[in-house]
Amino acid sequence: MAHYILKRLLLMIPTLVVISFIIFVIIQLPPGDYLESYIAEMESQGESIDPQQIMMLRQQYGLDEPFMVQYLTWSTGMLHGDFGYSFEYGLPVTDVVGDRLFLTTVISIFTIIFTWLIAFPIGMYSATHQYSWGDYGLTLVGFLGLATPNFLLALVMLYFANVTFGTSIGGLMAPEYLNQDWSWDKIKSVLEHLWIPVVVIGTSGTAAMIRRLRANLLDELHKPYVVTARAKGVPPFRLLVKYPLRSALNFFIADIGNMLPSIISGAEIVALVLSLPTTGPILIAALQSQDMYLAGSFLMFLAILTVIGVLVSDLALALLDPRIRLHGEAR
Amino acid sequence: MRFFHPLRLPRRIDSLRRLGRWIGLALLLSPAVVAQTTLIDPGLEIKLQETPQLLDKVAKGQLPSIDQRLPQPPYIDRMEQLDQRQPGKSGGSITLLMGKAKDVRQLVVYGYARLVGFNESMQLVADLLHSIDVEQGRIFTLHLRPGHRWSDGQPFTSEDFRYYWQDVASNDQLYPYGQPNKLMVNGKPPKFEVLDQYRVRYSWDQPNPDFLLALAGPSPLYIYRPAHYMRQFHRDYTDADTLKELVANANTKKKTWVALHQRKDHQYKFDNPDLPTLQPWMPVTPAPAERFRFVRNPYYHRIDTQGMQLPYLDQLIVDISSKKLVAAKTGSGESDLQGRYLSLSDYTFLYQGAKRNAVDVLLWRTSRGSRMSLYPNLNASDPVWRPLLRNVDFRRALSLAINRHEINEVIFFGLALEGADNLLPESPLFRPQYRSRWSSYSPDVANRMLDELGLEQRDDRGIRLLPDGRPMEIVVQAAGGSTEETDILELIHDHWMDIGVKIHTKPTEREVFRNRIFSGDALMSVWTGLPNAIPSADMSPAQLAPTSQQQLQWSKWGKHYETGQEQPPDLPAAQQLLALNQQWRDATDHQQRESIWLQMLDIYSDNVFTIGTVTRLLQPIVISQQLRNVPREGMWNWEPNAYFGVYRPDRFWLETAEQKGPEARTSDINSDISPDMNESKTLATEGAL
Repeated sequence: MAHYILKRLLLMIPTLVVISFIIFVIIQLPPGDYLESYIAEMESQGESIDPQQIMMLRQQYGLDEPFMVQYLTWSTGMLHGDFGYSFEYGLPVTDVVGDRLFLTTVISIFTIIFTWLIAFPIGMYSATHQYSWGDYGLTLVGFLGLATPNFLLALVMLYFANVTFGTSIGGLMAPEYLNQDWSWDKIKSVLEHLWIPVVVIGTSGTAAMIRRLRANLLDELHKPYVVTARAKGVPPFRLLVKYPLRSALNFFIADIGNMLPSIISGAEIVALVLSLPTTGPILIAALQSQDMYLAGSFLMFLAILTVIGVLVSDLALALLDPRIRLHGEAR
Repeated sequence: MRFFHPLRLPRRIDSLRRLGRWIGLALLLSPAVVAQTTLIDPGLEIKLQETPQLLDKVAKGQLPSIDQRLPQPPYIDRMEQLDQRQPGKSGGSITLLMGKAKDVRQLVVYGYARLVGFNESMQLVADLLHSIDVEQGRIFTLHLRPGHRWSDGQPFTSEDFRYYWQDVASNDQLYPYGQPNKLMVNGKPPKFEVLDQYRVRYSWDQPNPDFLLALAGPSPLYIYRPAHYMRQFHRDYTDADTLKELVANANTKKKTWVALHQRKDHQYKFDNPDLPTLQPWMPVTPAPAERFRFVRNPYYHRIDTQGMQLPYLDQLIVDISSKKLVAAKTGSGESDLQGRYLSLSDYTFLYQGAKRNAVDVLLWRTSRGSRMSLYPNLNASDPVWRPLLRNVDFRRALSLAINRHEINEVIFFGLALEGADNLLPESPLFRPQYRSRWSSYSPDVANRMLDELGLEQRDDRGIRLLPDGRPMEIVVQAAGGSTEETDILELIHDHWMDIGVKIHTKPTEREVFRNRIFSGDALMSVWTGLPNAIPSADMSPAQLAPTSQQQLQWSKWGKHYETGQEQPPDLPAAQQLLALNQQWRDATDHQQRESIWLQMLDIYSDNVFTIGTVTRLLQPIVISQQLRNVPREGMWNWEPNAYFGVYRPDRFWLETAEQKGPEARTSDINSDISPDMNESKTLATEGAL
């Protein structure tokens, strides 16, 4: 096992190097650079900017350097924690991202819990009561959630929350708490705002999870061991939770690989529409304005999390399910 | 000779034409008052009052008293001479919404403290400066206000100008490409002299009509720096070891003193709370943040006639929110002063929200030459299209075929002004024929004109054929982003189908958009019309001549003017415009300038270099019902109004500032949150200064 883990860890190094290169190439692919989009943005607002100043900035930002030099500075910088410089904010990338990570994690964890709380009972019910009215009805609701465009749902909910409860539109707390220290009032304000993104992001994930749980459970429910257990008089719910559900959970463990990065990146579009102080909008804005080091470091960060997440889920699967363990060890 | 040359601009507000305006005008026109020299002693003529919110600090000795903080003489804002404006009360705070953290620079635009600036009658008057002498249009002597101080209390003197000129603009590392273009006349820099502590002089060999305009711009030319602060980042003033340490800890991409100096020197970006400023409010929140606070500058140089120091408002709060949510948030009462990111299509929503949230929705006017203009690319590289696009009759025919009335009715509720891309009636240079020429809807005439150009052949769809047999299909490049633009183009598509020309709209990213036009790949593009459609004769007519690469109808000629690359204009009309632009630059009196302007406008409209649609759209402005001194009618534009700038937000005040402040508004909606209370309290006690 240790050998296996070591091998996997070593394999991560070349993977990440390749990913970092691809990320950098793709970010550089669109024509122009940060300064060009900066000029274009100023112009769209009617402002103009001195070409000399642009030349000066280009030199300052090192945008006139050759591609490989830029890449090497960035990638080697990352090795000692220097993720580059955000042109847009005029700050090192770590300063820009820092504060937002916490709130993003809060939203994502709440969303995941919300999704589980809804999806598990419904999934279990749907599987045990296959083709019943309840199954159809709940599945329909789930699909509605999946089919409604998130951003639309978000806007509608924002509007009604504002009109009915007076919640301020967008953001994760009322504006006056933004630069304050954490206090009970601030937490209350956050909770007051939190439910909208949680529900919006959650509804779309719920349907998928319901379907997967239902399908996996159905596979198990008809297996002979279930029949045997039932014949021996194990109570139905205890049976369900103890055997089929456990083996149906594999997909869920395998999902951890995807979940880790999504905790950080959140649902970008919804976050953008809701103007959440999470990392998603920063990533989108950085890609739009070609703020390359910010965007690149972000994507790199997500890549690292994905790679680690996949490893963790593989190990967890092996730990939980003897059938998956590597050959030599399983015997 | 000492004189002040007031630039005359359109006076749009009719009510201004009443008595009050004449008094104001007479005062402004008299050089003595412009220079504020009639003020003998503020203590005698106007009794200075201490700002209530600063009393504590003054009493504790943390801040000098009001007479020590103001320059001698201060600028006395006679706002009561303007319609609907009166002196008010100090205090309170308002919230504004912006789309990006970078937008905090708008506070410099709104703040509008300039060396010289426009007033509401569009005359240029001394503001930060005590006065300015102009000789022969080329020698400018700037008189500072003695005792004027930066927001940190350090004196603002000629040293700040000298530091900029000698140590910044002339430093080959800070300005490796030479002094800024805006300070050059025919490629030559001015001669700079420090006359004494409060006087500096810039003199050129040739007249420089752009100089004062650049100083008054919404994004002004800064010819001064807070030398006492910036020096610590300058190699010539700080010893190598100290500087090295500063550089090592700096938030810059390259770790050099040049990068550090530039990073700290963000007078326009306004994101460095340590940088002293002369604006009415100064930033106190370091980036990154979602909410930026700007608090009053206790050394601001303007007072009202009651002797109260401006600005009235204690603080401005800028909340950053996604651009798309600004209208929704404004509609729910989360902004007390909003124009940015609002458009006419939001009006009904905003109006509905106004009833609930104690805000007023005003309708101001925009002042572009056209909301959307089509730019035939005269530098197109296609050998068949280019001569056609350069043919004036072709452009005229295209313009005649557009049904502007329909566009107005369908998209703008009939509230816009139809016509060519030319000046608005608010401009003294406006002549009706420039707008109406070649812009009446007459598809028959257009069809005949195209037939006469030898384009009679049509294919089976009814689309005319080019001389080489290709159908006349034009891909119109659009920078995307606005559905309004696509909608207008959809209508124009139908109009032009009637004359046998088919257009396809291609929305692209702005960078791609620009590059396609610059390279000549694009045949036609759309953008907004003339940037400043309410100019006076003393403002530069450069927008009418090929002087910039950004002019989409002749970007290559513009580039030639700017950099000498590409070819010079070879179309006689364009050459003429360029020559006239030069003549305007050399002209020294108003009469000459006016006649040059009119000639240029005539050529521009007769040649239909851009095809205008409709203009003078309404711009919703949302203000808190408690906010006073915001004119009911106004112009919303970048240049020359600097958005709220010429209306002087330092004059805005809250009716119930002392009792309630903005929290009253929010508590109407939500009683369990008591926002801003804490913040205004801290401001009042420790002043947050």
